[in-house]
Amino acid sequence: MRIPEKILKKVEKPGRYVGGEWGQVIKDKKDVNVRFAFCFPDTYEIGMSNLGVRILYDIMNKIPDVWCERAYAPWTDMEDYMRANDIPLWAIESSDELREFDIVGFTLQYELCYTSVLNMLNLAKIPLLSADRGADSPIVVCGGPCAYNAEPMADFVDIFIIGEGEYAMTDLIDEYRKYKSGMSKEDFLHEAAKIEGFYVPSMYTVEYNPDGTIKRYVPKYDDVPMKIKKRIVADMDKSPFPENLVMPYIETVQDRIVLEVYRGCIRGCRFCQAGMTYRPVREKTVETLNEQAKKLAENTGYDEITLSSLSISDYSCIDHLTDEMLKWTDDRKISLSLPSLRVNSFTKELMDKISTVRTGGITFAPEAGTQRLRDVINKNITKEELLRACHVAFAGGKTQVKLYFMQGLPTETDEDLDGILELSRDVIEEFYHTPERMKRTPQVTLSTACFIPKPFTPFQWEAQCDYDELIRRQRYVVSQNNDRRIKYNYHNAAVSRIEAVFARGDRKLCAVLSEAARRGMRLDSWEEFFDYEQWLDVFAAVGIDPAFYANREFGEDEWLPWDVIDVGVSKEFLLRERHNAHAGKTTVSCAEKCSGCGANKLGGECTWCPKTKDSN
Amino acid sequence: MVSEDERFELRVKFTKKGGLKYISHLDLARTVRSAFLRARLPVWYTLGFNPHPKFNFSLPLSVGTSSECEFMDIMLTEKLDGSKVTEMLNAAFPPDLRVTDAYYPTTKFSQIGWAEYELDITSPYASDELAGRILDALDGDINIVKKSKSGMKPMNIAPYVRNASCTFADGKLIFRVLLSCGENTFVNPKYLIDHLEEALPTEFADADYTTCRTQVYYDDGVTVFT
Repeated sequence: MRIPEKILKKVEKPGRYVGGEWGQVIKDKKDVNVRFAFCFPDTYEIGMSNLGVRILYDIMNKIPDVWCERAYAPWTDMEDYMRANDIPLWAIESSDELREFDIVGFTLQYELCYTSVLNMLNLAKIPLLSADRGADSPIVVCGGPCAYNAEPMADFVDIFIIGEGEYAMTDLIDEYRKYKSGMSKEDFLHEAAKIEGFYVPSMYTVEYNPDGTIKRYVPKYDDVPMKIKKRIVADMDKSPFPENLVMPYIETVQDRIVLEVYRGCIRGCRFCQAGMTYRPVREKTVETLNEQAKKLAENTGYDEITLSSLSISDYSCIDHLTDEMLKWTDDRKISLSLPSLRVNSFTKELMDKISTVRTGGITFAPEAGTQRLRDVINKNITKEELLRACHVAFAGGKTQVKLYFMQGLPTETDEDLDGILELSRDVIEEFYHTPERMKRTPQVTLSTACFIPKPFTPFQWEAQCDYDELIRRQRYVVSQNNDRRIKYNYHNAAVSRIEAVFARGDRKLCAVLSEAARRGMRLDSWEEFFDYEQWLDVFAAVGIDPAFYANREFGEDEWLPWDVIDVGVSKEFLLRERHNAHAGKTTVSCAEKCSGCGANKLGGECTWCPKTKDSN
Repeated sequence: MVSEDERFELRVKFTKKGGLKYISHLDLARTVRSAFLRARLPVWYTLGFNPHPKFNFSLPLSVGTSSECEFMDIMLTEKLDGSKVTEMLNAAFPPDLRVTDAYYPTTKFSQIGWAEYELDITSPYASDELAGRILDALDGDINIVKKSKSGMKPMNIAPYVRNASCTFADGKLIFRVLLSCGENTFVNPKYLIDHLEEALPTEFADADYTTCRTQVYYDDGVTVFT
């Protein structure tokens, strides 16, 4: 351990920094040829909960001469001590400095982590700009959901991995071996750019129109692709899944087994990025899942298993799976939990089976207050379905319901905002119409997020409401709510605005991030460190208008910053869906009928996608 | 009424070192709990709505202090050999947590009276002379302010500090001391460090130190607790 004891004794939660957990992988450096530092640009507690990190840590460490270690963003108290004592950022397992590694990889889970990525590179004394990193610096790669449009990070990152990393990581390491055996960095990046799913931003120059929109992307060499196709795992049953986990000592956000049941989503909510980018839908079989769950439970000693997916109740064998798992979990005092439920799948049987449903709070996500707006966003649930689900919950002894909504959705009016409160009052009413209800006052907690237009969604062209308008709509709901049984919480509109800027950003924003890094900004996903005024000041300092990205309606014929990426779902489909939205027309789920999104061209063994089934 | 299963209380003696010393009691308990499941140890679960294994730790251990002699009493549903349990737990514990002994106890944790600590102090001022001054600083009253739930309480802990010794070797100071573990007279080694930092501010300004609990005794401060 290289961190002086006197520092560890002073910082908050020193357990974040010391490693030594059960399940961590230690290798002998003399047997290792490639060292990979898997960095999570947020705290240990958050990073340790990430399923992607768990999967890729396991895959890389199974390669005998590769050692994958972990690194996290230090909390500010530790950062201060590190800077004061000149301690560069290190990796948990070996305590070696990050700059000694071959590859430093970051997962980009949300846009507001970008400043933390740069701050971690800075703490590691690794040059921020890709162009400034020579053969003596690590290769910096990024993946994760934000990599689908990480153009604001283009100047800092050598390679983006687009899509699912299971097999891409081994390709990366193989290519890196060639680099290490004697190849210039430029040649290495050129070669890497030819690998499927590898986006090397330096291989493309961007030309702009006078109005600041993109004119075109020009590849530097003839043999690098015009579009980078997303990687997917074809067969989820054969896809590597860890049988062991690093067991954190300190409590983390997801301190349990997270069993990934399937990838993708059959629903097609028009605001949802994950619902589009994880297509095509691919399920694991009950046998595989049960086996994976058993092994993980045996090897980790966790006493809770979360069944995880974008919409878990849409898993085609959910009843069979829970029945099979309950055969052994009860005996071993292991509880099952589900992250989120659609109202139409919420039944008494499920409530009896799933302990977290039994004991925890009940949350539903109608997303919009009126049927009209729910049709616009393609959230295909009705008021009656919501009330039925609440009825079941109230009959089962619940008195509190949490409802998630979005504000600022395209076409939203004050009537839709009224609808949010009306729906909440209907839920309260439903409580009193439930004969088996508890003798207590019901409570509805409303949580509203601000709509953020995201790449690769039918709403990618939409403008976000102006900041003042977002605030007005929040205040409007506050002013209209006179029922003490309805509690209203809302997200910070300023955070949502900055997120919108970076979500649809282009390479010009690299200058913004450089300036933010220079000012030492980081941990922007933490309310206590997010500083809107500072952000506005940074934009002004580099002469960039955030409204160009957040509050502008993008042209349907415009070259979008993420058009260089092929995510499977076609732009034509997204456009069709956008037009359906504005016409108030819904689109049925993949289970009912294929809507022709185009993701089937990626292949993959999947249950729901009829077209892929035909072609297999 | 559900009839209670037959159960056996086993005492496990273990060491807590390395990074693990920065892990709190509560987090240690979670680690132990998952290790029970990994080890497939036949632990007894409490009855009721939220069944959980039952185990108690002997003494509180401050975050940052390692230990060569921690104890926990665990409840089993089978009377396994201590050596078997030692083997099972060591296979399931992280490397910094090691079981050194396991047996069916005849004593209670409340019989513990004293604990011995070793502090390794590195300081640019480390010398035989400083070793002597450290002992001098602990001669007489040792007035500290004890933080408790009811607030700050001034206290002279001298009666609860025994057998202090300090030697200078290999460039560092090795300080050994016996501290009371009584319920109301528990002395955290941190109090001594605070006291020394106050008494010798220059010498301790750049000092770094490790603390380790090395032995636990009965009330007499002489007989080793088992």
